[in-house]
Parts: sequence; structure tokens; C-alpha cells
Amino acid sequence: MKRTHTFFCFVLLCGVLAAASPFWGMSAISPSSIWTAGHPDAEIFWRLRLPRTLAAFLAGAGLSISGMVFQALLRNPLATPFTLGVSSGAALGASVSFRLGTFLPFFSSLGSLGAALAGGLLSMLLVYLITRARGGFSTLSMLLAGVIINFFFSSLIMLTQYLSDTRDSLRIMHWLMGSLAGLEVFRIADLAFVVIAGALIIRHFSMEIDLLAAGEELAASRGVQTVRAKISIFAAASIIVGTVVSLTGPIGFVGMMIPHICRLWLGWAHRTLLPATFFLGGCFLVVCDLFARSILAPAEMPIGILTALIGGPFFLWVLFKSCRHGELF
Amino acid sequence: MEQTMLHIQQFSFALEGNSILDGLSFSLAKGEYLSVIGPNGAGKSTLLKCLMRVHEHGTSRGEIRLKGRLLSEYAQRTLAALVSYVPQAGGWVPPFTVEELLRLSRYPYLAAGGVLGKTDQEAVKKALYLTDMHMLASRRLTSLSGGERQKAFVAAALAQETEIILLDEPASFLDPKHTAELNRLIRVLHREHGVTMLTVTHDLNHPLCMEGKILVLRQGRQLFFGQTQEMLRKNILEDAFSHQFICFPHPGTGRPTLLAKE
Repeated sequence: MKRTHTFFCFVLLCGVLAAASPFWGMSAISPSSIWTAGHPDAEIFWRLRLPRTLAAFLAGAGLSISGMVFQALLRNPLATPFTLGVSSGAALGASVSFRLGTFLPFFSSLGSLGAALAGGLLSMLLVYLITRARGGFSTLSMLLAGVIINFFFSSLIMLTQYLSDTRDSLRIMHWLMGSLAGLEVFRIADLAFVVIAGALIIRHFSMEIDLLAAGEELAASRGVQTVRAKISIFAAASIIVGTVVSLTGPIGFVGMMIPHICRLWLGWAHRTLLPATFFLGGCFLVVCDLFARSILAPAEMPIGILTALIGGPFFLWVLFKSCRHGELF
Repeated sequence: MEQTMLHIQQFSFALEGNSILDGLSFSLAKGEYLSVIGPNGAGKSTLLKCLMRVHEHGTSRGEIRLKGRLLSEYAQRTLAALVSYVPQAGGWVPPFTVEELLRLSRYPYLAAGGVLGKTDQEAVKKALYLTDMHMLASRRLTSLSGGERQKAFVAAALAQETEIILLDEPASFLDPKHTAELNRLIRVLHREHGVTMLTVTHDLNHPLCMEGKILVLRQGRQLFFGQTQEMLRKNILEDAFSHQFICFPHPGTGRPTLLAKE
């Protein structure tokens, strides 16, 4: 009980920080001025800061809940949208669309969004096919397939970059760092729709996720149609990741850290874990974004670099901890 | 009239072209206890998995009927309301609490989303008390000893309220005290609650003290099915394990006891 108490306080603190974050930044905005029409601060708040905060929250929440799903189904804390190749697929899609966009107007009108989403789903499909070819859906097969896809797509991204002129190459590189700057408002609506719908689907399957996390045989013996459940759950999580990555670029480690922290505090029942992960993941990225846009002000640091700086050591900590205990969680 | 719970007729199973089970035929009445023994790789665990329909991608021939109905006709949930499973001891355990594990057993009875009703909670509570696990209900499985973990899995199978329980080497890796405790629990459940049980075991004395039927497998074939006394008389075990055994009355209970020759 005391654990949950501490966690609740922690979540509350994060919530307050996140709620306050649109008022901070390059210039502080006083809460009273935002209701004054025509006031420049109100313009900045409603047009720039609030949409951006929303985008950060949705992206963080989406990445975290899909990370939670991947970790649970593959029973591995290091299984994330990144280790499974979904992000690199999306990144490849976006890079190719940047490159082709210079010759073919069609591609630039399609935009990096569709291309990245297609890339993310393509890599998930490839992981699925490779795993199936190896027979069964073992965790090991899926992780291996993810690693292979990652390497392969990374080299394709480099190839695309090599074949591009300096301008496109820079665009690709900047996109690969991950950023929340310059996201249009209507895109945020798309993001909200996908993340919330995905979260509801995952919630619908929360008991199946619990059971699959406990082991496939156990899940089948309790009445879960394992293959069908796995495909639905993975599809929901992949679409969330594909959409988030296509809009913000790959923002790493959020999907690994947040669910891991929530699990340590709340345990494994995904019905309670899901809302906590959703909320904490959202708040985390909002706060990261606040730092990303204020540390180097007036310049802006790509948020992907910031999360990777925090996430790298965390990843190592998880790795060493799991080695010490001889188990993965 | 005795009701046939499980009826297997000329059942064969192959995975990727390799025959694993070959021409099994036997049937069990309601409330019977079956021990499945045989050397490693005989297909014992595969038989249990076929009964739970875990192996979706293998090819099978022949038929398995549960309560007269073909196994393939059952929906996975309906099957789970009839058959539950206790996994092999010593494997990886999920970091759920004991109570969470038991709550998951109610899955076949729940609507999507998984909210437990009053009857579900009562079933969980009953299973906790029957197995004496109520004191450990809020402990994580990862923090329990091997024996306690296995009892938790038996409790979980009970919470599923099924007529058949499959146990896959429930006592391997457990020390003698915990093995005896687990066997006592299994015996109580079988005798007092009339559950039909199928236990895969490496302990040849397990079937001798459970007073049920015995199925001996070797390389996927059915070597023997019947009463233990008959098995001892016919020297089936020598055949199955290609090894000599001594059978003598237990000094304490007088029950026949087996010992592998040096």
C-alpha cells in the first residue's frame, strides 16, 4: 500500500510539472495573460505551446503503452519499438520519402507521414514473417528478427542518405534525431485519435496481455486464442508506434523506461498498469520537451537526443540488474 | 453409469513431419487419476499440450473426445472451462502476486476487459483456502520458494473450476518434503473433489501411491494402459526404460515400491 502511495505522489508531481510546462520555456508566460485576447503571450500559448505540449503528451503516452505491450508479450524489458525494428522501419519510410520527394511531387504530397507509417508496419510484418518461418512465435525468434530488421533498415537509411544531396541528407539526419517542433495542429488530432483508440484496444485486451506475459501455454490453457490475440495486440501497438514515429521522428527509450518504472511500482496487472504508463509516459515526454526547448535557448535541442541521454544509462542499469538476478524482470 | 470424461482413439500427432505421438487409444472415466510415464522424449508433455490445444501448427490424426464431444469442436474458452493446467516446476514464473495469478484463471468465465464478478472472487478465495495459500496471497510468485510456487499453480488450476486438471511434472525440482506435500494436496483434490487428473511424471513411485491408472509411453507409442498392478506383473517398465527395476513392499506402508537397479 505504501508503495502505491509513493507512486501516486510521484505521478501527481509529474502531472503538475507537465501541466505547468507550457507556461515555461524561452519566455515565461503568466497564467493570467492567456485569457487576454490579442496579448502576444496568449498567441504563443494557444498557437505554439499548448499544441506542442499536447503532442508531447500523446507521443510519450503512445510510445510508453506500446513499449509496455512489447515488453509484456515478449517477456523482455529490453523489447521496445526500437529493438523490434518498428522505429527503424518508420525511419526508413520517412528517409525514402524525403529523398524521393525531390524528384517526384507525388511522394512529397503523400508526405513522410504515410511513408513512415507504411515502413513501420512493413517492418512489423517482416518480423512476423521471419518469426513464423522459424516456426512458432517464440520470444527469442521475435527479438532476433527485430535485430536483423534493425541492422538491415539502418544500412538502407544510410544508403538513402548517401545517395541524397546535402539538403535532403540534413533533413533526414534532423528527422532521425526526433523532434516535436513544427507539428501542425491537424496532425495532433490524428495523433490523438490513433493513440487513444490504440489505448482502448490495448485496454480491451488487458487480461490477454497478462496471460500471455505469464506464458503462452498457460494463456492457451486459460482459454486465450493466443495467435489471434497476439496479432491484434501487436498490430495495435505497431500502429501507435508507426504513427508517433512518423510525426515526431524516432524518440528513443521512452517506451522502455516508463513501463519498466511503472512495473516496479505497480506490479504486473496490465489493467492498472496501462493508465499509469499512459499518464506517466505522457508527462515524462512533456517535461523532456520543456528541457529540450529551454536548455539551449534560443536554439532547440532535438528531444530524441535528450531521451537517449537519459535512456542509455537506464538501459544499462536494467541490463545489469537483470543479469544479476538471472532473470529478465 | 460411469461417465466417460476423456476418450482417445488412434490419436497420432506430428510436428514438422516428425511423428511425436503414434496411435494412442485409451479412455478415462470421470474422477479417475491417470499417471503418464515414460523415458525422456516419449511424448508425455506433447500429449498434455494436445489436450490443451497449444500446438496449433502440428498435424494430428485420430480423435480426442472430451465428454463425448470432439476436442476440435470446442472453442478455446469452453475448453478452458473444462480443462486446466499446472505447468512444469522450475520454469520461469511471471512476477504476478499469487492472487493475481488465480484471478487470471477466471478468464474463461469473463467478458472482454476482464472484470471479476462475485462468483469469480469466491472461486479465487476458495482455491486459496483449499491449498492453504491464503497467507501468501499478496506475495509475488518470484519471491516464493519452488514448493510454494507449485502450490500457487495448483491453486490457480483449482480457481479455474474445471473437471479435468493436467499436471506436467508438478513435483520435479522439488525437495522430498515439498514433493510429499504437493502429492498430498493432489490426492485430496482428486479424492474429495472428484477432479479427473492427468499427471506426467518422472517419479515411478508416484503412480503407485496415487491408486489410479497408468499410461506408459515410449517413442510416442503406447506401451501400456491399465492398472499399476498389471503393469508390475507384466514387467512393462523394463521395456519402456530399457533398464532393470526392483519392486519391493514399502517397509512403512507395504505398498509396492520401485527402485532402479544400479
